[in-house]
Amino acid sequence: MERSKYPLYFSFPALFVFLLFFITPTLIGIYYSFTDWNINADAIKFIGLENYKELFNEPRLKQAFINTLIFAAAVTLLQNAVGLALALLLNEKLKLRNLLRMIFFMPYVIAPLVIGYIFRAIYHPEHGIVNQFFGLLGMDFMVQDWLNDPRFALFTVIMTDIWRVAGFSMVVYLAGLQFIPKDLTESASIDGANYWTRFKHVVFPLLAPAFTVNVLLAMIGSMKVFEIVMVLTEGGPGYTTEVFYTYIRNTFSSGEMGYATAINMLLFALVTLVGVPVLMAMKKREVEM
Amino acid sequence: MRSRKYSPLLLELLAICLSLLILIPFFMIFINSFKDIRESALFGLTLPSHWVISNYEEVFNQDNLLRGFKNSFLLSALVVVSVNFFASMAAFVIQRRGGKFLQGVYFAFIMGLIVPVSIIPTIRLMDLLHMKGSYLSIIMYYTAVLLPFAVFLLVGFIKSVPRELDEAAILEGCGYFRLYFKIILPLISTVLVTVSIVVIVSVWNDFFGPFYLVTDSTKWTIVLQVFNFVTLYSTNWGVVFAFMIVVIAPVLIIYLFLQRYIIDGLTAGSVKG
Repeated sequence: MERSKYPLYFSFPALFVFLLFFITPTLIGIYYSFTDWNINADAIKFIGLENYKELFNEPRLKQAFINTLIFAAAVTLLQNAVGLALALLLNEKLKLRNLLRMIFFMPYVIAPLVIGYIFRAIYHPEHGIVNQFFGLLGMDFMVQDWLNDPRFALFTVIMTDIWRVAGFSMVVYLAGLQFIPKDLTESASIDGANYWTRFKHVVFPLLAPAFTVNVLLAMIGSMKVFEIVMVLTEGGPGYTTEVFYTYIRNTFSSGEMGYATAINMLLFALVTLVGVPVLMAMKKREVEM
Repeated sequence: MRSRKYSPLLLELLAICLSLLILIPFFMIFINSFKDIRESALFGLTLPSHWVISNYEEVFNQDNLLRGFKNSFLLSALVVVSVNFFASMAAFVIQRRGGKFLQGVYFAFIMGLIVPVSIIPTIRLMDLLHMKGSYLSIIMYYTAVLLPFAVFLLVGFIKSVPRELDEAAILEGCGYFRLYFKIILPLISTVLVTVSIVVIVSVWNDFFGPFYLVTDSTKWTIVLQVFNFVTLYSTNWGVVFAFMIVVIAPVLIIYLFLQRYIIDGLTAGSVKG
């Protein structure tokens, strides 16, 4: 049957919504990032590169940029490491296997905002169960003000997000493990391969599709982090946990729309710069498989 | 292989210990939701010295609670319908027809999968379209944001529906609309379930969208109500925890019943797609 007979207009509703409500705001955002759009001003004035000039002289942007990258790199790495470890563990013949899988995925169905509030209580410097636990063990050097100490705040936010998303990676890896034929690992072990060599030469290469999906989703998602940081630290102490979206939120609430839009454009550039090559690599590998 | 005899037990113990890391935070808010104002501020894991049920009474007396649930439900349901419908139609012709134009459309959607939304210009756009703060505006926002993922997943799946089916149907005199509704849609229904689950989880749990786009407090979703409630009641953690329990309980109950389906759906979608 001829391809051209399939009606093109089937794609129009989706295309219309996407163009109007996704592409258009992005495009008008480019324009507004060159204006002094401000809640207090009557008119919107074109000011050229002023917003960007101001931004690049702003140490806070540099901090948000670095923090976003650290957060994204750490979450991507740890989420995958923990997710894979959990998947391998729960791929063994354990009695409580299904129950445990269900428990590890549970945080993923809860709103990040709510999780943020729960962990604010957990990290409370005096009463929080984290410090209570270390105190009980006599590990007093581990009793810290996790969210208000600039040395630990970003690390604490990262750990909280790992708690939330590791189960998702686990599920994707478990799916990948289902596709690995049993006789392949069995014959490898009969040939005398131990767990580590089996993993390295048989299991891991076959997990490649799950791996790419997980890395891509973790990277994209973590660069857009918002609620967890907003609730746990509001970007503080100082700007030590400031990320793009908390920075945008603060400039937005002070009414500087043009400036906030410029920040959004920089995030847009950053995510595209990092995300597109990864996506291309993923597409290429798909063809090879 | 020799170690096999005892290692499963050790692994099981390890896994159980790790699962406590997930369960204890939930237990913490549960147990503290029954404590009075003084005791709940200690965030402890001990049982309440006396069980305070009035925290829950206070929560259920909030008009916002029911309204928040209603709004979240309404939004999720409508977004599920629009995303599934628009995305599957588009994915169907993108996969079947191809060509330069549709390749471009597909590429645009893929880009939408990566790049972040420009939220402040979106507010401006809604303003210009005279739909600022309406249900329609937030439904359209979510649809636009979630379409890329749905199209991506569905194009992958429609590949597995043989073209011969289309040919047979068209030869029998079936139009393209009937082909899509009667043959394609039923065959991809499992993926539509996956799409629906992801859409519901995203919309129900999202704070970002309504925080910026919904100004009218009667249209706030349940997550915005949590935000508002914590700001108002942050001096009484017992009540705050009770509110959280009421908010997450329905989600967890649904998850418990559907978890097989949810986890299977997500895995099928993520690796094959």
